[in-house]
This record gives sequence, C-alpha cells and structure tokens, in this order.
Amino acid sequence: MNRDVVGAIVRKDFVTFTRDRFYLFITVLGLVAFVAMYWLLPSSVDETIRLGVSYPSGQGFLGPAAEANADELSITVFPDRGSLYAAIEEGEQDIVAGIAFPAELVGGSAPVELLVPAGVPPEYLPLMEGIATQAALFVSGDSSSINLATRTVVLGTDRVGDQVSMQEQMRPLLAFFVLMMETLALASLVSVEVQERTVTAVLVTPARTRDFIAAKAVLGTILALAEVLLLMILIRGFVGDVPVLLAALVLGALLVTGVGLLAGSSGRDFMGVMFLALALMIPLMIPAFGALFPGSADAWIKVLPTYGLVEAIVGVTTRGESWSDVAPALFALGAWCLILLGLGASILRRRVETL
Amino acid sequence: MNLGRAWKIAAREFRLGPRSPLFLYAVFLPLAISFLISAVFGGLLEPEARLGIVDLGESELALAAQELEGVSVSVLEDADDLRARVERHDLDAGIVLADGFDQGVSAGEQPDLDFYISGESLASTRIVLAVTTTEMVREVAGEEPPVSVSVTSIGDEGYVPLGDRLLPIVVFYAVVIAALFLPASSLLDEREKDTLSAVLVTPTTMNEVLLGKGLLGVLMGVALGVMSLGLNQALGNRPLELVAFLFVGSIMMAEFGLILGALVKDANSLYTAIKGAGIFIALPVIFIIWPTLPQWVPKFAPTYYFLQPVYEIAVNGARLRDFGVEMIVALLICLALAPILLVVGRRAEIRLAWA
Repeated sequence: MNRDVVGAIVRKDFVTFTRDRFYLFITVLGLVAFVAMYWLLPSSVDETIRLGVSYPSGQGFLGPAAEANADELSITVFPDRGSLYAAIEEGEQDIVAGIAFPAELVGGSAPVELLVPAGVPPEYLPLMEGIATQAALFVSGDSSSINLATRTVVLGTDRVGDQVSMQEQMRPLLAFFVLMMETLALASLVSVEVQERTVTAVLVTPARTRDFIAAKAVLGTILALAEVLLLMILIRGFVGDVPVLLAALVLGALLVTGVGLLAGSSGRDFMGVMFLALALMIPLMIPAFGALFPGSADAWIKVLPTYGLVEAIVGVTTRGESWSDVAPALFALGAWCLILLGLGASILRRRVETL
Repeated sequence: MNLGRAWKIAAREFRLGPRSPLFLYAVFLPLAISFLISAVFGGLLEPEARLGIVDLGESELALAAQELEGVSVSVLEDADDLRARVERHDLDAGIVLADGFDQGVSAGEQPDLDFYISGESLASTRIVLAVTTTEMVREVAGEEPPVSVSVTSIGDEGYVPLGDRLLPIVVFYAVVIAALFLPASSLLDEREKDTLSAVLVTPTTMNEVLLGKGLLGVLMGVALGVMSLGLNQALGNRPLELVAFLFVGSIMMAEFGLILGALVKDANSLYTAIKGAGIFIALPVIFIIWPTLPQWVPKFAPTYYFLQPVYEIAVNGARLRDFGVEMIVALLICLALAPILLVVGRRAEIRLAWA
C-alpha cells in the first residue's frame, strides 16, 4: 500500500465531500438537531408521585402516610374537595391525582373519592386505596389484622435520587445516529465512484485497488469519528474513563465504515445502496434502542455488532466502568470491525476489479 | 391527453415496481414503524412497574397479582433467579411467598415475606409496588377495607394516549414514501437511464407519463395509508372520510414528487432534497405529538391539510365537514401545483431532447 497515494485519494474525496455545500449543510443540520434534541431532553428523573388530599375535618389526619419519604411520595393537603379538584384539573403543583376524604372518614356512609385524571397510570389506584386505608385506620385508632414479617432488601447499587436520566440514556443512540449518517455518506460516495466508473480513472494512475479501498476506509473512519467526537463534546458526553470511551468510538467509526463499504459496493444503484444501508442499519440500531429500556439485554442482542459499542458507552458514562469492565465488549466490537471491514473491502475489491 | 396510455404507464409501474427496493421499502416501512410504535415506544414512554413473584406454596396472591392493571407480573420458580433478575433490573421488585403464606395471613400469624427491590428502580415504582403488595395481602386475607372507595375521572375528553398521538407518523411515512418518493425516483430513474426518451418517441406524451407515474403514487399512497391506519386499528367509523383526505394528500405528495423527479439532477440530489425538506413536511406530525406547542405553526406546511384531518377523524371521531376549510386548502394546493408540474415536465422533456 502506498501511503502517499492513499493520502491523495482521501484528500480528493474530502474536497468532493465539502464541495457539495447542500450535503454539508444537511450534515451540519443533522448534528445540530441531535445536539438540540439532547439538551431538550430531561436531565434528571422525577421519582416522586405527587398526590393531593382533602379532608374537611382538618389536617394532620393522615398519620404515617403524610410523613412519606419525599423521594417517592409527596402529599399536598387541600381544605376541600373543590380546591383539590381544581388543582388536579389545572395541573397545579404537578399533582397527578387526588384523594377526597369525606367529613366522617370512619363509620360514615360516604366513600373516599379518588380523583383520577385521564392518563394517570393504573397502578396508582391501589396506591391511593392503600393511603386511604392507612388514613382510615389511623383516624379510627384501629390497626390492621395483617401482620407480616417483611424483609426488604435492595439489590444492586441503590440509585434513588441518582437515576440515569433520559439525556444519559440517549447518549449511545445519538452517537450511533451520527455514525449512521456517515455510513450513508460513505456508501453513497463509494457507489457513485463505482457506478460512474470514476474509480477506473483513479486506477490508471499509480493507485492500486487496495490503495483505493484503504482511502475509502480511512476517509469513512475520519469523517465518522470527527462527527461523533464533535457530538460527544457538544453533549458533554466525555465523562468517566475518557480513553476507554475514545477507544469505543474509534472502533464504532471503523465498524460503520465497514458497513458503508459493504452497502456502497453491493447496491445496484443509489436507491439500492440507500435501501441496503438502511436494511443493514436496522439490526445495528437495536442495542442502542435497547439501552433505553431498563434491565439487561437479551442474549440475541448481545451478539449484534453494535452491542459492544453501546455497552462500552453506557458502562463508562453511566456506571463509571473502566478498561477491565468493558474489555469483553470492546473485544467483541473489535472482532466485528475486522469482519465487516474485511467483508466490505473484499466485495468492493471484487466490484472494482470487474469494472 | 390519452388516459388509456397514461393508465398503461401506471400499469407498467405496478408491474415493474416490486423489483425496486424502494417499492418494498414503501410497503414495509409503515409495517416496521407500526411495530416500533406499538411495541417499543409505547412501552418506553409509558412503562409499567415490573414485579416478580416466587410462590413456594399455592398462594392466591400470585394469581391476584396477575390481574393487576399497570403492573407487569412474572411468576418465577426459583428465589435465586428472582434475586438475580431484580439485581440486573430486569424486574423492579420481587417477592418470595413462603409455603403456607395465605393460611398464616388469614390466621393472624406473622408469615415471612421477602421483598427485594432493584437498586435501579425508581422510588415512585418502589412505593407503588410495596403498597400494591400490601393491598393484595389484605385482599387475600379477606380483611374488609375500613373505607369504601369510588373513582371520579377528571377531564377525559381532551386526553389522547401517546400511542394514538404517534399515529400520524405512520400515516406520514406511508403517504410520503409511497406518493412522493416512488413517482419521484421512478421519473428520475427513467431520466437517468434514458428510458424516458424511448417512451417519448412513441405517441406517449410527457403529460401522460406524469399522469401514469402520479397514478402509481396516489394509489400506493392511499392503499398504504389505509393499511397503516388499519394496522393501528384507527380506521374508526368513517373510513371513507379518511380515504377522501388520504386521496387528496396523496395527490399533493405525488405532485411534489413528480416536480422533484423532473427537476433534480441525480438520485443523490433527490435524496438530499427530501432529507432537507423532511423537517418542513413532517412539521404537523411534531405538533400533533406535542399538542401544547403553538398550533398555528404547522399550518405553514402543506401536509397539515391532510394529516391533521386524518388524525382528528381517526383518533377523535371528527367528521369530514369539520375540516371543510382544510379540504379546500388541500385542493387549492393540488390545483396550484398542477401548472408548475406541467412546466417542469415540459422543461425536462426539452432537456432530454437536447441531450
């Protein structure tokens, strides 16, 4: 491989890329949109259920329920049902639902009224019934006949008050979207060279097929890496072990370059290339979407090429993991990079040589 | 203009269309988005609390739990497995019911209840599951609640579940990909491969070609729009009124598509133009998903005049007569686009003749 030739092809492709002002504009616009989306997402998790209660006979009747931990339950007392109803309807103080107690809570004929606006999660009803029951027992001075020997154990790191925010959850997905944008750009660049046969013009110079392929791989990796690094800087994504994160992003850029070479050299025409690139991207997106959900990924998700990338980003940025923790994920990602780059390069080589 | 020849063009498009990846893309994208919205985003944005139960006896509580609304319950065989899943946050909480739990509770004894909480579960989820479990135990023990409860719903009329608010995305993609992208790429493809010149040396005129390709877009747009609504069980009681708006919307999109197909220089430019204009034509979708945003903004987008009525008829049970103004504006846009289409079609024909 001739490094000067590869450098010359990379420079030519880069000039071609930047000359297309519209394409460049759309790329920048996409990046701006992703950054804006990130900053518009909630940066913290509201873990508190805000309920309102009204009790015509005065405050202080709720007993232990009123002293509920502010992390989980916040109870606001209203003087009467009307003001509670109005507060829920207007969404005052973020109250999601209310409990209107009758004047005679115990022994009276009127039921406790649960005021529930549309859209309140159905699991809140048993919670409200439970609070009503506790209040009734407290007011009557009775105690429940239920007597349990409950042992409560918190498993894993207790993250109450320090939950992973939507912003943090979205980091791998945004990084993946930016990498994907560059996959499409590289696929398009490669397919245009092949379909318009400009590659044959390149190959009458001292450049060889391997130089051409290496140049495309280098350009794709540089573009993808530059954009994803810019994104991570703009969303302040470099938290935790930065060298590990950088390694994951470099491997991610190599991976999508492999996909770009594969799609760009396999499609018959531009639309075919776009279709193929998107079809390849759909399974690759799954781990990034999976990171938005709680819990561990299924076994089949773990074998997808991008799982290692997502796992490394999530591990480093939200769980504070280091090299030793994410090494298996990075190793798997590296192996997929080799496979996809090798496959993409060999198909492109065959395509170029048959022109 | 000979309508028979235009129909032949359309029939040829239908015959050859399925060979194109874009055609398949147009058919499968609404299916994929419907799946994503219902299976992925519905669960992501409105998540359920997840409770695991290991029943070492034959407790009625395990059966009662499975009837709970808003709580996803998994019954497991092994306590170690339960603990592992709770620790991985595959479950928010888990309970282990000892053998003879029900009898112990009923007899007023103090049976063991192991309550495991995932460190990553939200505080609000923890209290919901803890209180719900206590209420279920009370029910199983046959303890009479000290108060009766009634539920009053507040402001049901204006509430639209998130899944329904995402419906326009499916319709948008179905109509835009089928009615805009298909005729645009088909016309451009014929221009690029010069098969259009071959067609135009026959008695077939450019206007007949445009009409034939437009027919393909309109029929596909309406068919895929109806299919998308059907897949999401949103055809409602007035399917014909929906079809009327889908029909006008598909005509509008087909006209935009044909204008683009006649104007742009290559597939790359077409793709970039659609990508660039994407935000503008998708504007109404964004404002339907977030109804608190100012609703005058999307009226600047032509797609508003068919997407908004389709959404209101499908989701809120509106009538066609409620959207008379929107229908008139949509028809006026279609009429205004027709002469532009004829002019750009004529210019494309002249360019071909000179090429």
